[in-house]
Amino acid sequence: MLGRIERSIDELYRDDAERADAVAFGRETGASRRGFLGGAGLAAMSAAVGGAIPFVANMPGGLIPAALAQSAPPAQAPAAAPKGPQYLKFPGKSDKLVVLGDKPLVAETPEHLLDDATTPTDKLFVRNNGQIPDEAKDPDKWKITIDGEVNNKLELTLGELKSKYKAITRRLVLECGGNGRSFFTPQARGNQWTNGGAGCSEWTGVRLADLLKAAGVKPSAVFSGHYGADPHLSGDASKPSISRGVPIKKLMDENNLVVWALNGQPLPHIHGGPVRLLIPGWPGSVSNKWLTRIWLRDKVHDGPGMGQFSYRVAIKPMVPGDKPDEKNFRDLESMPVRSIITSPANGAKLPAGTKDVKLRGAAWAGDNTVKQVDVSTDFGATWTRATVEGPKNKYDWQRWTASVRLPSDGYFEIWTRGTDSKGTMQPHLAGFWNPQGYGGNPMHRVAVLVG
Amino acid sequence: MRYLQKFAAVRFARRLVVFGILTIGLALSAGPASAQQFTPRDESPEDYPAGAGRDDAFYACTACHGFKLVAQQGQNRRQWDDTINWMAEKHNMPKLEGKDRETVLNYLEATYPPRAPGGWQNPFLNR
Repeated sequence: MLGRIERSIDELYRDDAERADAVAFGRETGASRRGFLGGAGLAAMSAAVGGAIPFVANMPGGLIPAALAQSAPPAQAPAAAPKGPQYLKFPGKSDKLVVLGDKPLVAETPEHLLDDATTPTDKLFVRNNGQIPDEAKDPDKWKITIDGEVNNKLELTLGELKSKYKAITRRLVLECGGNGRSFFTPQARGNQWTNGGAGCSEWTGVRLADLLKAAGVKPSAVFSGHYGADPHLSGDASKPSISRGVPIKKLMDENNLVVWALNGQPLPHIHGGPVRLLIPGWPGSVSNKWLTRIWLRDKVHDGPGMGQFSYRVAIKPMVPGDKPDEKNFRDLESMPVRSIITSPANGAKLPAGTKDVKLRGAAWAGDNTVKQVDVSTDFGATWTRATVEGPKNKYDWQRWTASVRLPSDGYFEIWTRGTDSKGTMQPHLAGFWNPQGYGGNPMHRVAVLVG
Repeated sequence: MRYLQKFAAVRFARRLVVFGILTIGLALSAGPASAQQFTPRDESPEDYPAGAGRDDAFYACTACHGFKLVAQQGQNRRQWDDTINWMAEKHNMPKLEGKDRETVLNYLEATYPPRAPGGWQNPFLNR
């Protein structure tokens, strides 16, 4: 909510014009005076407008409806900085998702909320790089373009996608490239994801490969560039919020979808509806929401989010925290193997005398599959093999179960370690430090207290 | 506070748009909540630790994104310096130079230095 605008714009400018600019443009707050459009008046006006009124303090008095020109509520001490997690409040989303940032809106799913075989829509994490665009009035008229190094430029509406191409449904992991970033030491720059920047839902759409076939990809195409309708955070209409791409080989993978439904329902706006891209196994940032264009290029794409240190890892391992050398970086491609315990939850208290604990979890491994999951209750001294289900389809996650026996009451940590189909295991620590913290996949641990 | 004024032109254009929305909005009754009406939680400098340069840092960063994103980070001065360059080069931040830059860097360095990672916490520690 907007709030705590101190005083009228006239008063402000009379007293200190520079500071007034700061207040008017930046909504500066103060402890003592909270008159101008504070409290209920502002809430009412926001409701009437259907959203925040970011520059409410700029409005000359004459434009403010008289009914809203309320007297000042009593002065209050400023709210203390919020402690503990901030939970998401968003229509259609679980209020147990943890907000990492409001602007852009980013929220992760704590591991124990990923206990469903198929992640329900309300529990799927939220990642935005830009502003949330306006909702499409007529979704079936949403248009995507495939152009560049193709024989036939394609312009297709959602209606045409549905009617002209074969729809398929797949259960696919969508994972933020920065998942696990919070485990790096020293801290890496960006949203501090734990393991909750991932989910595995049922996505319905058409194969991107079918569209590319219709467009006729030229031999000169080596890379793609993807665009969505979300405006840049700065409001600069000429700048995409993010535009990344993949090498042509990955682009042609038959598992990539142009999606319009999530868990059997029209793709919600907050997840990129009416149409988004889904390129599973790689950082989620290549799977643009509100998809408008796929540009086939004759060179590596250079949109915002490509190059330098974005979604990139060091080629020659660097000293953690050192100044990075741009020439020593390559794109993060496949996401690494990750296994999480989805039950019990971290912090669970078990009745005194509990000996056998049943565990549930999920594991996935980017372009690879999960060969094995092991769990430990003694910090890795001994391990128990979990039972791992096969994937429903490629790029599905794999659910696993295990049973462990505890020797006594007390404090235990349960650790899980996934091994991918190439034999690569999760490490104890987030290694191969890079400045923006990609590839962090240390073993997941939950603490339980028995008795 | 010259720095803040550099945003003025962009902000003015944006507030004109807001005026338009406001005018239309007041003519209609409030509709049902929908995604596009999501309101980011309001922030103010007072939500963050006091220190010289706090307001400058707050307004320099929140022209585009929430300060909560900044407050999640823990970096040394060189890393904060690199981050400001990155924001200017890649993310449309107006260049921040001279005294303004020093002021912002001083606050960020003092308030958000490298710290122990926050990834996993013992849930029973502060029972």
